[in-house]
Amino acid sequence: MTIPRPLYILIHMNFKIIDPLTGTCSGAIIAFVVSQIIPTDWNMFLAMAVGGGIALVLKFVLLLLLAPFFGAFEVMIPLSITAMSVGMLSGMMSAHGSVPDGCIFVTGGMIGLAVSAAIYFSNKKLTRLQ
Amino acid sequence: MDQNNKYDGVARVFDFFREGDMRRWGHAQKNHFKHMQGKVLHIGIGTGMEIINFPSGLDITGVDLSPKMLERALWRARQYQGKIRFCLMNAESLAFPDNTFDTVATVCVFCTVAHPVAGLKECRRVLKPGGKLLMFEHVMSKNLIYGLSLKFMSLFTTALEGTHLDRNTVENVRKAGFTVQKEKNVYLDIVKTIEGVK
Repeated sequence: MTIPRPLYILIHMNFKIIDPLTGTCSGAIIAFVVSQIIPTDWNMFLAMAVGGGIALVLKFVLLLLLAPFFGAFEVMIPLSITAMSVGMLSGMMSAHGSVPDGCIFVTGGMIGLAVSAAIYFSNKKLTRLQ
Repeated sequence: MDQNNKYDGVARVFDFFREGDMRRWGHAQKNHFKHMQGKVLHIGIGTGMEIINFPSGLDITGVDLSPKMLERALWRARQYQGKIRFCLMNAESLAFPDNTFDTVATVCVFCTVAHPVAGLKECRRVLKPGGKLLMFEHVMSKNLIYGLSLKFMSLFTTALEGTHLDRNTVENVRKAGFTVQKEKNVYLDIVKTIEGVK
């Protein structure tokens, strides 16, 4: 089976590029999906809980898609943190009504990037201290 | 479904799902396993993905409880520059006499062994006095956030494939009677190399 060229390039990219890239994209995707599902007239608390639930389902889908190429733990840990925070926040932003979808999408991506960066430095510290 | 049937079932897709891990951890495994010597027992050899990270010229006995996994490991064993034989066996009841091996190696195995301390005691029994236990395992994190993620995911992985993400394998190694000489983080404080001595 021949792998399509863009997928081949992505798979063989340096992990220092892949990790923030997948983190940002995962956060943005989760935020986008949650914002499309949660109606603007929902109670904030309900929107937060449902947003978290949707993010959980998306987390498993993304984990299954990404882990075979980029490593189970290196995908699972940042994705777990990103999914939970982005899902709940996007749910609340969506229910607020006045936040544009684009803003929710960008916020999700930025949280994903921030989590990737935090884990990168945490990993550097933990693998150096021995 | 019992454990070996579970692993027979996933044998076909096992390499695909572990490919990312191998790319991430290949270098760390090579570094860790370069200390292998003499007669080696590789517990849970699976499809033999890690053979490529072992030094050449060793006398390796690979055990696994899934015949389908061992079938898939054959071609990798043929490419190895040394001796490899496979045995269908459970880590908790190894059919080898006491003091047989110089090194026991494991890679992400003691997250799935049903009774890890019993399995590690078996490893200790078959190791010669002064023999080395070289483990490349994932363990529970001491960090609250990472730990909660692992605990939560462990609920699913345990139910689906019997993999526990929340085990304190370093402590289990001590409980089995080994002296832990080295413990090194490979990814966060979750993926570790552990070196124990009988």
